[in-house]
Amino acid sequence: MASTETYSEQELINALKDRDDQAFSYLYDHYSGSLYSIILQIVKSPEMAADILQEVFINIWRKIESYDPLKGRLFTWMLNISRNASIDMLRSKGYMNSLKNQEITDNVYGIDLVTQTNIDGIGLTKFLGKLKPEHRILIELAYLKGYTHEEIAQIEDIPLGTVKTRIRNALLQLKVYLK
Amino acid sequence: MNLQEYILSGIIESYVLGLASAEDSVEFERMCDAHQEVRAARNAFELQLEQSLLQQKLEPPRALKSRIFSEIGMEKDEQPPRIISGKPVLIPRKGFARYVAAASLVLLFGSVLLNLYLLNQYKKSIAQYKELVATQTQIAGANQMLQTKLEDYENALRLMKNPLMEIVKMPGAPASPAPSSMATVYWNTESKEVYLLVNRLPMPVPDKQYQLWAIVDGHPVDAGIFDMNKDLSFVKLKTIPKAEAFAITLEKKGGSTTPTMEAMYVIGKVTG
Repeated sequence: MASTETYSEQELINALKDRDDQAFSYLYDHYSGSLYSIILQIVKSPEMAADILQEVFINIWRKIESYDPLKGRLFTWMLNISRNASIDMLRSKGYMNSLKNQEITDNVYGIDLVTQTNIDGIGLTKFLGKLKPEHRILIELAYLKGYTHEEIAQIEDIPLGTVKTRIRNALLQLKVYLK
Repeated sequence: MNLQEYILSGIIESYVLGLASAEDSVEFERMCDAHQEVRAARNAFELQLEQSLLQQKLEPPRALKSRIFSEIGMEKDEQPPRIISGKPVLIPRKGFARYVAAASLVLLFGSVLLNLYLLNQYKKSIAQYKELVATQTQIAGANQMLQTKLEDYENALRLMKNPLMEIVKMPGAPASPAPSSMATVYWNTESKEVYLLVNRLPMPVPDKQYQLWAIVDGHPVDAGIFDMNKDLSFVKLKTIPKAEAFAITLEKKGGSTTPTMEAMYVIGKVTG
């Protein structure tokens, strides 16, 4: 059931709001790979990333009515849903436990319960790799780990104002690498 | 800061990626509403980000799409197949709907298996639960027994500690059928209550019972009969206002009015 039709952004949004299966299928085919990549960079485990991606698409389907084109593009909206869901997972008890389990089984049996995938050089990390270390660490903490500016100021022991400025500079630098 | 500086400050990128503070976000949205240039710059960055990330795909598991579709498929209001003249009419399903139908059969089968498994688990749990309840009752019973015993011992100790108690030791009587017998009377000098502690007495034959006697002015007075069939410590017998000695004889069941002198097991004088 690969989608053959193509849609303009507005057509796609209208079709989704009309609960059009074909449009949703197109949306999945077109965007799932990029969103999965971002989710995977945050949670690191393919199993968890797949679960989150499922949750994300179901949420997109359910909440499409609340999407407001005036606030940004559809992809931006979906990207933020994906990132928020991933960071929620990072903060969840289940994730912490799976990390603990993983440490134990790693030590005892050498088996990965949560398979971690090497994603260096893929997706966002490809661009992050080009940043200066002090910029890179801030983007990782803020974007991939979901820490607030206040938390980052504490972790890195730098003033709050500096965190904000550095994140903005890092993003401007990142923008140069996004082609 | 003029508009151009604002656009180049990094706020657009922060906002789009969800890294701007709530305060900055509110201000940014206001700027977007007010200035076409800000809106255009935001849109340009969003497009750039989208195109760039679309080059960076990782393929999610193949089965995921159908999982998602079967989940949202269930949420859709689908018309039930119409029944005409009692015969089910198969409405041809095409594309996605057929896929959903197949997936739902698979899910149904999985659900049946899961239910059987859960039923089995449920039965096991019930059996384990009953076992636990039985064990619990047993433990509660044993505990009750210990409580009663402990209470007995505490009562006995209280009697023994009571300074008002006159203790009358009764060793084996001169012609005792069991000369090594021994019993002790604890006699409350104030309330005149009599408690008996059997130190050692042979078990009587079934139709006989021991009887305690108080010797008052040379005459035996019935002080009560007692049984040996339980784990006794102190037995409360009849209240005796006055006595010079106590003795125990073995009598017919229910006791006698006068003691059988040949069957006197123990005797002891009141010293105080």
